[in-house]
Amino acid sequence: MSRVDTENYRERIWTELAKVARPDSRFHWDFSSFICDFEGSEECSDRVVQMDALTKRGDRRVFITPDNCLEDLRFKLISRGVSFVMTTYGIVRGFYELDSSKIPASDHRYAATLDGFDRYAKPVSLDQLRRGSPFSLLVTGGSAVSSNGVRFGKGHGYFDFEWAILSELGLTDKSSVVVDVVHDCQFVNEVMPAERHDVAVDWVVTPTRSIHIDQTTRQRGQVYWEMVPGTEFERLDVVAELWALTKEKQP
Amino acid sequence: MDSDHDVAPLLVGPLTFCRYSYRRIWSKVPGVDARREKAGDQPLYSRVRHELTDMVLRRALDDTSPLPPEPRLMEIFAVSRGTLRRAIDDLVREGLLSAEQGRGTFVKQEERLRRVVWERLKHVAIPDSRFDRDLREFVPDFFGSEEATRRVMSLEEWTSASRVFCAPDNSVERLRYEALSAGKNVLVPTYGLRRGFIHLNGSVLSRSDLRHAASLDGMESYGVVLGPGDLRRFGNVDLIVTGATAATSDGRHIGGGQRYLALEWAMMEQLGLVSTAVPVVALVHECQLVEEVVEADHDCLIDYIATNSRVIHVWGSTGSASNEAPRSLRRIV
Repeated sequence: MSRVDTENYRERIWTELAKVARPDSRFHWDFSSFICDFEGSEECSDRVVQMDALTKRGDRRVFITPDNCLEDLRFKLISRGVSFVMTTYGIVRGFYELDSSKIPASDHRYAATLDGFDRYAKPVSLDQLRRGSPFSLLVTGGSAVSSNGVRFGKGHGYFDFEWAILSELGLTDKSSVVVDVVHDCQFVNEVMPAERHDVAVDWVVTPTRSIHIDQTTRQRGQVYWEMVPGTEFERLDVVAELWALTKEKQP
Repeated sequence: MDSDHDVAPLLVGPLTFCRYSYRRIWSKVPGVDARREKAGDQPLYSRVRHELTDMVLRRALDDTSPLPPEPRLMEIFAVSRGTLRRAIDDLVREGLLSAEQGRGTFVKQEERLRRVVWERLKHVAIPDSRFDRDLREFVPDFFGSEEATRRVMSLEEWTSASRVFCAPDNSVERLRYEALSAGKNVLVPTYGLRRGFIHLNGSVLSRSDLRHAASLDGMESYGVVLGPGDLRRFGNVDLIVTGATAATSDGRHIGGGQRYLALEWAMMEQLGLVSTAVPVVALVHECQLVEEVVEADHDCLIDYIATNSRVIHVWGSTGSASNEAPRSLRRIV
């Protein structure tokens, strides 16, 4: 698909999405600043919590992005006592871990929001993170997604980067399942070429359906260091820590 | 200031765990060193800007009289007129200086205080879920806000209030929770007043929803949105509680610079929801208190300042500020 085509799609998707989108508490209708929640995201999370990658995860972990459309999913995970790892907005403060068993029942809804998550979750350094088990399920939201599971449009770079970091730490593998929660209008029934840093997703979950996409050939992610300077990731603490951990071979 | 400075986290204590140097990282990435070195080479006007800022914050320059004349400043910084002007223009744009036609360039006291307090706040502030450490964008919660909240609750004005206006500041989140727990009606503007006010009624909310309802992220799920057209439906406000960037000992509220509180006050006053008799409480950290008389632009005047260690009754034993002349300053400029 050419560049012009994706631009076209983008515009059409934003127009449609705006009709079902829910505003953010800080950014309101400025959709360029956050991944919005949308009508029907509850139906998405109902299906995500039944996925094998969650119910049969064993001692493997769950990762979630701080997108508004995943708030209800976070609530359902907390209610079920499922702990998870999430990044802070913009990965600015890196990765945090929420121990769901520690949240009083009255605060489940609150802990599922970005405001409340901050109160209950604990920061985890990459070093701490890599000592734990790999991730069974990784859920992200937003952007637009093609029929072969390639995400495009604003906001997809963060998850690609999180995936790359987790992969560098050896926390993703062949059995890791990647789910993209989107509104139906964000699914584009067309094959798109993936760039080397794109994470193709295994499932696209919309309010009306779940689409499985075969990703058996997906390669493990990696950070392409030469691409980082000049991006929003350049100054992140986690980038500095990752470099120290993986390139300097510190004890 | 330097683009290659070490990572210096805003917060000390539990929220900090990583300290690495950018210079160390990027000097090792192939093909990047050259670019980074260059970025570290800051232009002359930017050095002047930093030095001038520093002088303002150290109060090496007088707030009330204009900056020294250009030739003198050119001499101090050893730069050309063009470079000096560029630095000053930058600071005018940032709001730290104001250029007044025919009178000269002045330090903006209010902005100076903001910067001083922001510097102090770094040690106690809690980052925002979106804006992180960018204190220009929000009023942060702080370590010790529980104590400050308790002090607000010890006021008689709190006990008797059934309708409370609470600013959407992070430091007021806990107080909003307490107000809802006590079954009070709470009026909270949406962030930046962009989508009106939210009316929450604590007496009809279920216990398990209170924390969520008290947060900016959750309040819209439980409250009724009131625009200027139907704000009157909330009824008369008995008490106003706000956070602040800084509060002065003479009762000035210094906000983030957008004057939302003054705007909200004016709207409510026009609609008859508040009068000058309604007590205003600022909930701040001790480090946000400024012992200075400020020639600030008009903003909402404060009756009580509740901090993590005490309550200050600004108008002393003479009662509320309502009878005092300065109260008339409560208007939008």
